[in-house]
Amino acid sequence: MTDSSPKTLIQSLPSSFEAGPEWLRLLRGRAADALRAGGLPTKKTEAWRFTPVRSVVEAVFSPAEGDALSVVSALPEGVTARSLREVLESEPGLLDGRLDFAGTPEHFAALNTALFTDGLWIDVPDGTAVDTPVEITHAIGRAGVSYPRVFVTAGESAELTLIETYQGETVGGLTNSVVELDVGRNAKVSHVRIHENAGMQVGRVDVRQAADSVYRSTVITLGGALLRLDVRSLLDGKGAECQLDGAYLVEGEDHVDHHTRVDHRAPHCRSNQTYRGIASGKGTAVFDGIVIVHRDAQKTEAHQENRNLLLSDTATIHTKPHLEIDADDVVCSHGATVGALDEDQLFYLRARGIPADLAHAMLTYAFLESIIDRVGHEPTRTRMREALIARIPHGDEIREVT
Amino acid sequence: MLKIEDLHVEVDGKTILKGITLDIAAGEVHAIMGPNGSGKSTLAYVLAGREGYEVTKGSVTYKGQNLLEMEPEIRAAEGVFLGFQYPVAIPGVSNIYFLKAALNAIRKHRGQDPLDAIDFMKLSKEKAGLVQLPDQLTKRSVNDGFSGGEKKRNEIYQMAMLEPSLAILDETDSGLDIDALKVVAEGVNALRGPERAMLVITHYQRLLDYIVPDVVHVLIDGRIVRTGDKNLAKQLERDGYSEVRDAIQP
Repeated sequence: MTDSSPKTLIQSLPSSFEAGPEWLRLLRGRAADALRAGGLPTKKTEAWRFTPVRSVVEAVFSPAEGDALSVVSALPEGVTARSLREVLESEPGLLDGRLDFAGTPEHFAALNTALFTDGLWIDVPDGTAVDTPVEITHAIGRAGVSYPRVFVTAGESAELTLIETYQGETVGGLTNSVVELDVGRNAKVSHVRIHENAGMQVGRVDVRQAADSVYRSTVITLGGALLRLDVRSLLDGKGAECQLDGAYLVEGEDHVDHHTRVDHRAPHCRSNQTYRGIASGKGTAVFDGIVIVHRDAQKTEAHQENRNLLLSDTATIHTKPHLEIDADDVVCSHGATVGALDEDQLFYLRARGIPADLAHAMLTYAFLESIIDRVGHEPTRTRMREALIARIPHGDEIREVT
Repeated sequence: MLKIEDLHVEVDGKTILKGITLDIAAGEVHAIMGPNGSGKSTLAYVLAGREGYEVTKGSVTYKGQNLLEMEPEIRAAEGVFLGFQYPVAIPGVSNIYFLKAALNAIRKHRGQDPLDAIDFMKLSKEKAGLVQLPDQLTKRSVNDGFSGGEKKRNEIYQMAMLEPSLAILDETDSGLDIDALKVVAEGVNALRGPERAMLVITHYQRLLDYIVPDVVHVLIDGRIVRTGDKNLAKQLERDGYSEVRDAIQP
């Protein structure tokens, strides 16, 4: 394939796909149809209103050779991680009906479904609890588009911690990822996602939760020319619980854009979202979160909070937490704040002898670190703190004193 | 050590301090007593360098230098300590590590090497013991979830760690029951010494039963209206501020 614009790319998508099992060909065909019908989003697309989507759409849409998706940790016992391509070839019926469980995707996720060539399937069987995290690294080393695809299945009462890191210094590349997690009854999945790459990223995380399952997502975004991530959870079984946390830091001319959506479709479920961000320089940060409580989801408890620090006059923050409630017996709250560093706290630190710039850095770090602090796995917290420290002024001094 | 001359201070265009003159020598403990709104906390904040306080007249000389020109952190490094009336909570910033950063910044300013972790922890244990501050509180986030008494003990613990030359204690007694007051006062007394001056700001005489001052000043409406020895505090307790106020403004 030669370099092409997304428009010609979409036009060139086949109306019927030739390779792979029939169900996958259909899946890809439906995604291609959705793209032909709806195209890629523009500034007029409501859910993309604040995303400078043009620059994504104008990215060079030639495939980056060899999507560098790899499991970097030793696989803990009980977990299997297989190449999607290999599974689709050797056991073509195995994943029938399981991908795109949230329905036919649109926009960039549809592009991923139509065009992904490989990916990972991580499976934790029923009753298997794994302490050691599984770590996946997406190393983005070249310009061009890559379509990482990850499918996670956690069986009944399974436990898993998944860490994804997106790294790379290549400006001009586009990573268009889709991660799906199918969380079984009473299973517990912790999902950490660290964005450290400089290029453009569009990502979708889809979660489906069976009864009494727990899903915890922590997203750390440390800059990026353009990042758009949608994390969506379907609370499908009674008593399921999800926690969506995020911390983002933008500077320079970064644009990061986090969207969340929680669908309460079953009764007695809980969801809790806490996103915190800092914008400085000419950076822009967007948080848009929606909780939808469907009619039958009585006894829902849903909370949503987005707090931001705006550290320069030229930075921008958009925040829009919102609720749609169709049930009557629910407890829901949402809130957003945008402010500056607390003057009382700054003065307290300085009055003890800490120089102003270090005091700023300490408070900035603490603001985001509180999100990391909610991650249960200590080595993972350490890793995330290190990633944050690397991006904060006076990082070495902060490392010294924390 | 500290020489305040004819200090006038405005906050939001309103004159709060209307000509304070005060001279504190090393080794002395001065108390400033006054009713609410007399300007006590304003004086404390001006000395510590808080923004938003405009000095319209007068001077403050500390160890021969113009204190008012220094940034708050330089004042701290030069040995000025403010014990806050309402210590702020700083979630996410560990009490002990923030203090380590503070102590080492001050040591750097003085041309000393930073304390290593072991020496620092040893020092911390000793000073926390002085005010019976439980070990786990030193490790928590600064003042986060601390009770009123724990916050004040934390202030004195920090003062003991930083060993200031001039300690300004702003209503350290407020919100303390009598047992906590005694603990805090003992901590303060342990830090009295010939090289150290203290300015103890309080509304009530009670604290001065435990921290016995050398000199007592009465601050009313931005002016020091009386100066005396510790017996002045007792007289105030007996007669109230209105008596003094009436005496000067018949």
